[in-house]
Amino acid sequence: MAFVLIGLALLLVLLPEKHASKQLKPEQLLQEINDNTRYMTTDEVAEKLIYGDAYLQLIDVRSADNFQKFHLKGAVNIPLDSILNKDEKGNYEYEDILNQDVKTNVFYSNGTVYANQAWILLRRLNFKNNYVMKGGLNRWIETVIQPQRPLQTASQEEFYLYNFRRAASMFFGGGSVSSVPAEDNTPAPIIKKKGGKKEEEGGC
Amino acid sequence: MGPLFTASDEWSFVIALVIGIAFGYLLESAGFSSSRKLAGVFYGYDFVVLQVFFSAAITAAVGLLFFEYFGWIDLSAIWVNRFYTGSAILGGAIMGFGFVIGGFCPGTSACASAIGKIDAMLFLGGFIIGVVIFDAFYPFYEKFYKSGNQGPIKIYESLGMNREVFLLLFVVFAIFAFVATAYIQQRVSQKSKKY
Repeated sequence: MAFVLIGLALLLVLLPEKHASKQLKPEQLLQEINDNTRYMTTDEVAEKLIYGDAYLQLIDVRSADNFQKFHLKGAVNIPLDSILNKDEKGNYEYEDILNQDVKTNVFYSNGTVYANQAWILLRRLNFKNNYVMKGGLNRWIETVIQPQRPLQTASQEEFYLYNFRRAASMFFGGGSVSSVPAEDNTPAPIIKKKGGKKEEEGGC
Repeated sequence: MGPLFTASDEWSFVIALVIGIAFGYLLESAGFSSSRKLAGVFYGYDFVVLQVFFSAAITAAVGLLFFEYFGWIDLSAIWVNRFYTGSAILGGAIMGFGFVIGGFCPGTSACASAIGKIDAMLFLGGFIIGVVIFDAFYPFYEKFYKSGNQGPIKIYESLGMNREVFLLLFVVFAIFAFVATAYIQQRVSQKSKKY
């Protein structure tokens, strides 16, 4: 009997990890969806990029065409429709990137919805270290590339944030950014409308 | 394979009663209603308590891990008590003294009372009085009771070990304990024969 038990325990050690990547329970997933800790703001992402955070991994979940047209610095493209692709062995093709302990993955799309869908799919598979850039590229343009000057009555924090965003705008947008305050009244509202609409429609 | 009954199910009490009766029956069948047998582990003449509980623990652990491997059970859904360091140490000491002095643990005292043992009935009475006193003065030691809360931690987690490797070592240790206690028991019984 003793040898049987030792043999069975040894077998457990030697068995391949069949159920190692266990799916998250729906109740826990719902709780994580509601607590909103997956979001990273565009300002946080900008700061990490400016300081050259080596642990940041941006993941563009839009189509390859859109990625070619424009993407954030250092981003890799894993389109949403191929995020669950499997290789010949049946493992997830992108698991090395999407489920690891070293880097912080931040998904983005044009809005928030597609990035959120990617996050939910991967969280269901219990993949860790994944976040979503809230508002996506629309919000990135609004806040980082073309920040709006706060009202005169705004708090000091808002002005600090505005100054940071202007500096970030210069870092990412180049020379044209210096004219952003002068153009504040014209293009910004248009971008804002786009952002708002798309966010509600599905963020694509 | 989901739970056969949910926690809120009215069948929970019926199932608890059936399991309780089965547990009591098995304790009595194994001779655990005898305080001499139970206290034997402290004096070295009878290690059946240690052997029964150790073999139950390793059999259940190996079985549960296989069940999980085959997808028949979700171990993450099983409730694990929180570990409070302070009350675990003090509670363990009180339980140990109670066991060696009274010759019963709470479960076996109920089992022995059911077959009419007077010492077990007295033990059970003391046990109930202790529960009432604990409840009445709970606010005084609540802080200590909840001190050192480490959450539902498991031994292999606190040691930073792989679960399966820990189980293998535990099984080997249990079997070593069986052999060692059998040897001690033999020596003690030989000595007692001499005198």
